[in-house]
Amino acid sequence: MSFIENLGMALSSLKAHKMRSILTMLGIIIGVGAVIIVVAIGQGGEAMLKSQITGPGNTIEMFYQPSDEEIRSNPNVFQQSPFKQEDIRVLEQLPEIKRVVASSTKLSTARLQTESADVSTTGINQAYLQLNELKVEKGRGFSSADFLGGRRAGIISNKLQEKLFKEENPVGKIIMVSNQPIEIIGVLEKPTGLLAFGSMEVYLPFQTWRNIFGSSDFTQVTLQAASAEQLQVAGKKAAKLLNNLHNTEKSYQVINMEEIAQGVGQVTKIMTLIIGSIAGISLFVGGIGVMNIMLVSVTERTREIGIRMALGATRGQVLTQFLIESMTLTLIGGILGIFLGWGTSTIVSYFAGWPSLVSWQVVVGGVLFSMIIGVLFGLLPANKAAKLDPIDSLRYE
Amino acid sequence: MIKLESITKSFLLGKESVHVLNGISLDIEAGEFVAIMGPSGSGKSTLMNIIGCLDKPTEGEYYLGGENVSHYHDKELARVRNQSIGFVFQQFHLLPRLTALKNVELPMIYAGISKKERQARAEAALLKVGLGDRMDHLPNALSGGQKQRVAIARSIVNKPKLILADEPTGALDSKTSTDIMEQFRELNSEGVTVIVVTHESEVAEYANRTIMVRDGLLQPPAVMERGRLR
Repeated sequence: MSFIENLGMALSSLKAHKMRSILTMLGIIIGVGAVIIVVAIGQGGEAMLKSQITGPGNTIEMFYQPSDEEIRSNPNVFQQSPFKQEDIRVLEQLPEIKRVVASSTKLSTARLQTESADVSTTGINQAYLQLNELKVEKGRGFSSADFLGGRRAGIISNKLQEKLFKEENPVGKIIMVSNQPIEIIGVLEKPTGLLAFGSMEVYLPFQTWRNIFGSSDFTQVTLQAASAEQLQVAGKKAAKLLNNLHNTEKSYQVINMEEIAQGVGQVTKIMTLIIGSIAGISLFVGGIGVMNIMLVSVTERTREIGIRMALGATRGQVLTQFLIESMTLTLIGGILGIFLGWGTSTIVSYFAGWPSLVSWQVVVGGVLFSMIIGVLFGLLPANKAAKLDPIDSLRYE
Repeated sequence: MIKLESITKSFLLGKESVHVLNGISLDIEAGEFVAIMGPSGSGKSTLMNIIGCLDKPTEGEYYLGGENVSHYHDKELARVRNQSIGFVFQQFHLLPRLTALKNVELPMIYAGISKKERQARAEAALLKVGLGDRMDHLPNALSGGQKQRVAIARSIVNKPKLILADEPTGALDSKTSTDIMEQFRELNSEGVTVIVVTHESEVAEYANRTIMVRDGLLQPPAVMERGRLR
């Protein structure tokens, strides 16, 4: 008897008890769906975290970690910005480095008439815009002229607009940042995503920022390499160069992204595994439901089994029939579960701003696993059916 | 065709073993129409189960068409039932969710016959029993007599040499019973061996030999009250 025929038989007997089949499938649908959701969100999160750490477009961040000696000789070392304008110029000369993105952030106060707010004020160089797109909701972004001339033009965050202007359009208005007038040329888009609360921020061209705060040093430097392969080399070269310039041993460093990315990958993998296992328990429970209903079905169909045996079905054929029936049940459940999981994780990622990743491995794994569950939990009922005695079964009422 | 040599069958009931058949020897030639009669508890059902390869004798040998089937495994017995024996039961034993046609196709599914041939042969069998216009009906939509005709069509579709009918008219009225027994007579005239288990002497009269079973033993022909002797 062919597999196709068995399948047809299984489908028709599942159709004969629609409600029961659907309810039994529900256990598998939810189980597979839950596993898919967890894995999809886990893998999506891992991908997102990794890309955030390594930064978009082959970038690597530099940081300054003073040695004990430096701290002893200069206790104020943490108050000073570690990167001089000169450093930036030198770094730009390195052949492996495409761009040096530098910015400086200081906390200050923004004021509009009587309304005031604590803001983090960031001075950025023009390269910053190449890497971090400042999405402007109202007004305009920075132009080259703003950077060159050191215009007193600023872009504020959505949150700051709400605080200072409420409903009013702030574009073209003047606010006082650290008691210096700044014309607002644009407002940033509201940040999306689950963890984005929005903060009070002002962005200024670096020239302007320097004029306000009287400092030409940068707090943050990010290097962009020409290619991903050159990233680590460029980072090491840059760190060495700055250490030479500042006469330090290894205070200037770059973060070894690969290690961190791997670490984060490990953590998210473990998290996914743990939550996935919990979801897997529901799949197991679903499997028990399948076994239960198949046992009921075997009892109900005792006479059918007897008839089939009298007509020449071997025990093996009866076993196969019931195994394929339970496998069909879980397979359909598994496929529906994949759609459920895929749909749900897509919706979740849409609202959470967190990407979800349903990989083909997960889909294939889900299908195979639900089939295995069908066979595994179908084994006991099918075996019960195959062991029936044809004479007793024919007499069964 | 059928040769039983001192067949015994005993069951364990609790700790006691109950002897249902106490040494039955019997020969049935190909083409015979035999009725097996006996009061309930006589062992005639057990005898029929053994002849039908649904059960194995405790002792003794059973030859069916020259094959000694008494020591066959379940799998071989299934093949013998499928290929050599057609069953007709008192309760019809049709699968309720399958149409008449699909019910008749069942034995051929287990014989591994292709779908196309199955359908053609099932249709031919149903035409033969006069149900050409009821092929797509579910058993529920058929009368008792029609159901039994479907069962007969099912029993002959694998072209067995032996048809075994267990009280085939037990659930039918007398007029329908006659129709059904005529079907068997017709099949017998085509050369198929027919064995009918019954307690109705009217049914046994269709047979050309009647075998009486009592207390697990065959009664000598002289004791028989009715039934045509050969």
